[in-house]
Amino acid sequence: MSAVIEIEGLRKTFHSMRSGRRVAVDGFDLLVEAGQIHGFLGPNGSGKTTTLRALLGLVRADSGRMTVLGEPSPELLPRVAGQVGAIVESPQFFGNFSGYRTLRLLARAGGVPVSRVDEVLDLVGLSDRGDERVKGYSLGMKQRLAVASALLKDPRLLILDEPANGLDPAGIREMRDLMRSLSASGVTVLVSSHILGEIQLICDHVTIISRGRRVASGRVDEVLAGHDRHEFLVRVAEPERAVELLHAADLTAVVDGEALVVGGVDDPTVISRVLGEQGLWVGELTPLRPDLESVFLELTGAYEHPSVPRQVDDSSLPHGEAVIDLDRGVDA
Amino acid sequence: MNLVRAELERLSARRFVQLMVVLLVLAFAVTAATTLVGSHKPTVSELNSAREQAADARRSMEVTHQQCLAYQDDSLPSGTNETFPSDCSAIDPIRQDRLPIAADYLSGVFNFADQARPLLYFLIAFLVLFGFLVGASYIGADLNSGGVVNLLLWRPRRMTVLAAKLGTLLGTVLVLALLASAAYLATFWMIGQTAGLPGRLDGDFWRSLGAVHGRGLVLVLLASAVGFAIATLGRHTSAALGALAAYAVVWELGGRLVLEIIDARRPDRLMLSSHIGAWLSGGARFFDPRLCAGSSGTDYCEGFYSLTWPTALAVLLLLTGGLTAAAFAVFRRRDLI
Ligand SMILES: Nc1ncnc2c1ncn2[C@@H]1O[C@H](COP(=O)(O)OP(=O)(O)O)[C@@H](O)[C@H]1O
Ligand SMILES: [Mg+2]
Repeated sequence: MSAVIEIEGLRKTFHSMRSGRRVAVDGFDLLVEAGQIHGFLGPNGSGKTTTLRALLGLVRADSGRMTVLGEPSPELLPRVAGQVGAIVESPQFFGNFSGYRTLRLLARAGGVPVSRVDEVLDLVGLSDRGDERVKGYSLGMKQRLAVASALLKDPRLLILDEPANGLDPAGIREMRDLMRSLSASGVTVLVSSHILGEIQLICDHVTIISRGRRVASGRVDEVLAGHDRHEFLVRVAEPERAVELLHAADLTAVVDGEALVVGGVDDPTVISRVLGEQGLWVGELTPLRPDLESVFLELTGAYEHPSVPRQVDDSSLPHGEAVIDLDRGVDA
Repeated sequence: MNLVRAELERLSARRFVQLMVVLLVLAFAVTAATTLVGSHKPTVSELNSAREQAADARRSMEVTHQQCLAYQDDSLPSGTNETFPSDCSAIDPIRQDRLPIAADYLSGVFNFADQARPLLYFLIAFLVLFGFLVGASYIGADLNSGGVVNLLLWRPRRMTVLAAKLGTLLGTVLVLALLASAAYLATFWMIGQTAGLPGRLDGDFWRSLGAVHGRGLVLVLLASAVGFAIATLGRHTSAALGALAAYAVVWELGGRLVLEIIDARRPDRLMLSSHIGAWLSGGARFFDPRLCAGSSGTDYCEGFYSLTWPTALAVLLLLTGGLTAAAFAVFRRRDLI
């Protein structure tokens, strides 16, 4: 498969008079291949937007190598810009223009046939409101307009920065369907989000960023599998006795309320056999699969002190410099 | 070309630009209307009496001159205690720039030939302000509203995008200025023809008016580019306004004072306003008594020095070019958030 976006060792430091130096992106890597719906996941302030801005030539990286559709960016980005549709952070539009006029203006500036404007307005569900002024749009409608502007070029690569921002549940669902259908028609999609459920629902690949660094990447199911602790939830009549029996069988087990959490299980039939042999019949045996949320929280260190309000910069890197990269194996 | 078309649409849709155009039309209408109301076509008797008054005035000038000459020759009959200049040629009617003419003695009559130049200066002043403000707000608002970022996502060529904006701005301002000044002069010419006096509209008049017009348009374009460049450098419309105000207060007022205190020579040479004046009127003379401080009593020292229009133009071009080049250089590398 060919790489559509490659980022290697991207670093970006912001200098400001008030807060001094701030490393927003710190040696970040990203690989998006053709045909993927790639989730770009990270807590607020982790560097997603900055990464996308650097990739699209809006901010100058300190160092790092980037390519978009095979061309080094930002130097030769203009060569492929016609095939890249992007929104970065909620784009602002000129409030006095209608949605239609806004898009027509962009279409003209980019040499896209104006007939395309109606098509994309329809795609994002704004065809009835296209003649109204952008000023009067809701946040969600502006977001839709932004997506429409990114689609105007009929891009091969679509980059969306937090597209779900401001959308209602129905809007989020429509956005998801839109991305799926675009992907089915061959468009590669990179979508950033801090909402995990979203990514898990539509993305096949994911890269997780925390404090400017990549902490995990790969196929969504593999990232999840990499964090599977092989735990099962077990309900039995006598939990305490069951724990002893399971310990004797070299399994970890703790009582958790009414039930048990049993760990280190490769084959769950062992649990029912061990307990059944002693007359303890298993009432429920549920695998505890990690979801992206728990992986994300674990990787970004966001759940270590649930009682203390978490600050945006408290996100952590995993122990040492270990980066889980399921395409390349774990490197420490 | 597409980019320019798109920019043209954005520029013309800007509220501020529309407001300024309305103001221009309004100021224009008010001036024209008051002129029209305050002027009438002179009657034959008014004309005749004005002609007589002018002839009288010319005659009395001649008489005074003759008296002066006679006074120098001591041939003046005693009893006149009039004072005369030491050099009678100063009041020689033949040597005057202009002599009293009939039009000077017509009140309430608009004279196009006399008034065209000051009217044009007024229009140019307005257009200079217009260009500066529109230039600044056009890029300033776009930088702040994310319009530039949107456009760059489409066309990631910063130099092209900025150049298209500047080009569109200058083109639009030029067309507007041409239309406005044509309509303006035509209206007052009509007033002169129908409700006043056209005055002496010979080749010299049109040539000199045309020159002022051309120089004025150049000034309008330079002001637009400067407003655009400063707002680009400072990322805000207000940067241009602030820079303008700061320059006026710190340099034109404060700097002038300091120069005065330290007894610097030719302080006006260092003021932008002098160069603007010199460019617009084709040259300017300034008085500086310090120039005569060192001269001996024997040679005559006038204390005047002049700024020529080529120098003034060079200064203005250098300033505008420098600011514009800086704006492009900074915009090329800047982080656009
Ligand atoms: N223009 C800027 N000046 C200074 N710091 C910035 C700027 N833009 C972003 N940052 C900082 O860089 C970090 C990453 O920001 P960002 O990329 O916007 O995060 P995300 O999009 O993941 O929420 C944050 O800590 C933010 O404060
Ligand atoms: Mg962001």
